[in-house]
Amino acid sequence: MRRMLRLHRIFVAQYMKNLMEYKVDFLTGAISFLLGQVIQIAFLGIIFSQIPDLVGWEFNEILFIYGFSLIPKGMDHLLFDNLWSVGYFIVRKGDFDKYLTRPINSLFYVIAEKFCVDAFGELLIGLILIVYSTVQLKLTITWYMIPLFIVAVVFATLIYTSIKIATSAIAFWTKASGHITHMFYMTNDFSKYPTTIYNKFVRTFITYIVPFAFTAFYPASFFLTGENPLFCIGGTVLASVVLFTISVCIWNKGIKAYESAGS
Amino acid sequence: MIYVNDLSKEFKKAIKEPGLKGSVKALFKPNYEIIKAVDGISFHVPKGEMLGFIGPNGAGKSTVIKMLTGILTPTSGTCEINGHIPQENRQKYVKEIGVVFGQRTQLWWDLALRETYSVLKEIYDVPDKEFKERMAFLNEVLELDDFISSPVRTLSLGQRMRADIAASLLHNPKVLFLDEPTIGLDVVVKENIRNAIQKINAEEGTTVILTTHDLADIELLCNRIVMIDKGKKVFDGQINDLKREFGQMRDLKFELMNTCDISKLNYKEDLKLSDDDMKLESEKAIVSVRFDSDKVSVEDMLSYTLSKVHVKDINLKDADIEEIIRRLYKREVSIDEV
Amino acid sequence: MKFKKFIRTYRPFTRAGMLESVAYRANFFCFLIGEIMSCFIMFFVWKAVFQSSNGETFMGFTMEDMVVYLFITFLTGYLTYSDGTYAIATEIRDGSIAMRMIKPCSFDMCFLFQELGNKIINVLFIFAPLVIGVEAYRWVITGACQFNISYFLLYVVSLIMAYLISFYFNVSYGFMAFYLKNLWGADILKECIINFLSGATIPLAFMPTALANVLSFLPFSSLSYTPVMIYMGMYSGEEIAFKMLMQVFWLMVMVLLSKAVWNHAVKRLCSQGG
Repeated sequence: MRRMLRLHRIFVAQYMKNLMEYKVDFLTGAISFLLGQVIQIAFLGIIFSQIPDLVGWEFNEILFIYGFSLIPKGMDHLLFDNLWSVGYFIVRKGDFDKYLTRPINSLFYVIAEKFCVDAFGELLIGLILIVYSTVQLKLTITWYMIPLFIVAVVFATLIYTSIKIATSAIAFWTKASGHITHMFYMTNDFSKYPTTIYNKFVRTFITYIVPFAFTAFYPASFFLTGENPLFCIGGTVLASVVLFTISVCIWNKGIKAYESAGS
Repeated sequence: MIYVNDLSKEFKKAIKEPGLKGSVKALFKPNYEIIKAVDGISFHVPKGEMLGFIGPNGAGKSTVIKMLTGILTPTSGTCEINGHIPQENRQKYVKEIGVVFGQRTQLWWDLALRETYSVLKEIYDVPDKEFKERMAFLNEVLELDDFISSPVRTLSLGQRMRADIAASLLHNPKVLFLDEPTIGLDVVVKENIRNAIQKINAEEGTTVILTTHDLADIELLCNRIVMIDKGKKVFDGQINDLKREFGQMRDLKFELMNTCDISKLNYKEDLKLSDDDMKLESEKAIVSVRFDSDKVSVEDMLSYTLSKVHVKDINLKDADIEEIIRRLYKREVSIDEV
Repeated sequence: MKFKKFIRTYRPFTRAGMLESVAYRANFFCFLIGEIMSCFIMFFVWKAVFQSSNGETFMGFTMEDMVVYLFITFLTGYLTYSDGTYAIATEIRDGSIAMRMIKPCSFDMCFLFQELGNKIINVLFIFAPLVIGVEAYRWVITGACQFNISYFLLYVVSLIMAYLISFYFNVSYGFMAFYLKNLWGADILKECIINFLSGATIPLAFMPTALANVLSFLPFSSLSYTPVMIYMGMYSGEEIAFKMLMQVFWLMVMVLLSKAVWNHAVKRLCSQGG
């Protein structure tokens, strides 16, 4: 574990050097992400200027949920973004060979190789929204909220990552699976809003099948209302552990089926 | 050191029927064809040997290398290197090998070359002192100093290959796998790379397994070759054995003044040769005869031919290694296609 | 005669584009499902909004209007999307743009016709299902068929112009690759800005009047807002004529811009080499 952390730091340092080669590009990217979020929030603002609340949730509560959803998403984006490349081209082009000829875990190597700094845009906006809405709502913060918040974020991030690992690993059999990852990943947007706005099918789907609801709405609603800690936080932990185990199994099986490319 | 036993690898390949109907069908019920890329290959390589792996495109050379390096999992059969089974304890195993794929680089594209080495140092856990010594040695053999500070994307192909080989040797591996290390390089650079490989093998006793299309690589570097075609091993031995085994075959080629004269040539009966000893092919006035010079001397062959027919042009070719291999490839292909 | 020759030259590109998108149809469907998902999220959000608001309408839109807006905006955005920026940036980076100068066909036409093949397949697969779905929904909700053939035909014309504007804009934008090492960030910025300025994220009608007025004169509203509003029958005859003239105007500007940029690029290539 220690060695992994050290390696990770070295990879990050290398990646940052690499990034400095493309400073302008990186800055525009990060600003664009920020801008996109600002526009989305402005949109919410416009809607709430016309209605008092959304199915019982007031504007600041929606902002809190929205902000919370950005934190695990941003963490996953920051640390585990290279998984996208596995599904889109690393396997198809046979570049996965490289990861298999190194004396470190291939999943770890793929993940550690990239450090997506533009995710700071999401994390920043998420934090601002959480702090702002907490202040506006005058939420009382008890001491155990802080460790629970960290636990929720860590395991929520793992839900994102597990879904990406499992869907990227499909590429070991089908050569490319980026579009499948995309399809599943897009469901995460459902978690930005209270699940009560959806019909039963969608609600079941994002709670039990692709449990993105545990990445934002459920944990966030616990911090807002203090109700159902077992389901909201415990569910997040359980869902993410189960998913992660499954996805690592798929990944390890996938490596055995990997066919490389060309000659 | 390296034991390969009855190694096979099958690939599934989707068959697509043409037309829109075929595409739709393939979407719901894909059809597969099993392709045997490697078919029951066995060999053994002792420590410190340089083994050349040759064969035509698509023969399965790279597939074998990829199984030996742990990238691909064999469908059946086993390989054992240094007491490791590559797929089983991959992470431990790969610490003992170095791999270079000539067609792709393991270097960090946008960073100075030096950076790649410092990352690899960490990945392979090379201690500082050893790392310094290693770099000094590799630098001496591969002359990296001229470009070690340049970004990898600015290196020439030859420089990049030298850098790649150095990268694969940084952790002092016991076995070095080189997949087409001289591909696309000019003559001088090839020479350079060959010298470096030879030096590393001589000084460190590194076992080297290389695949190549360049037969000069083989003649200059390898004590032994394994030739495969269509996934099967077709030859395994010293280059000299190969020459001896196939080398006495000669090609006599000539053009007749009169095409009808061909009926006058009765090599088999007149010189008492069997089907294995000679083979005659003709296309209009051009005749080519392949014969075994152990069974019938070149002199007899020539005088018999010239006594029977008038020729415009005649030429006798000795089989060099390239010719032997070409013949072998051809033979395998034609056997299979009949 | 000249036209025939023109068609003969570029038809293979269209065919290639079609085959390409058929070959990648599995990816295409997965991608589509992912994208349509966001429409459904917004659908539920709007449903909740209408439940929570007092009146039948929200800033002049009914729930049916909102649904039509959502899905037709998605459709329009999907069909007017052009890959020109990426294609040009790639060619500039690997230097193959120089090859374009020695080929007997014009760069933008080759690419346009190739993309057209791709669009034909997209139209076949998603245009009809989406339009029929939206119309069926409207019929069920309001109890009467709301489909208006003349609005629909005008929408198609406006959509085609929107695509061409998008195409030439993207081609021009791609030439930025001459100045930037990597176009990734700039490309995201472009998407983000276009989505906002064209009214795809927030309908222009919801924005402050002054801002909406300014945006409606910029080329971006021609990309999405104009065709969608025409489809929904939000414009009077006069307004339609005016908005479509705006589209023609911006199309001409974009074509001229792309020509200018191309000529500049040729000069640059000739004087500096690839």
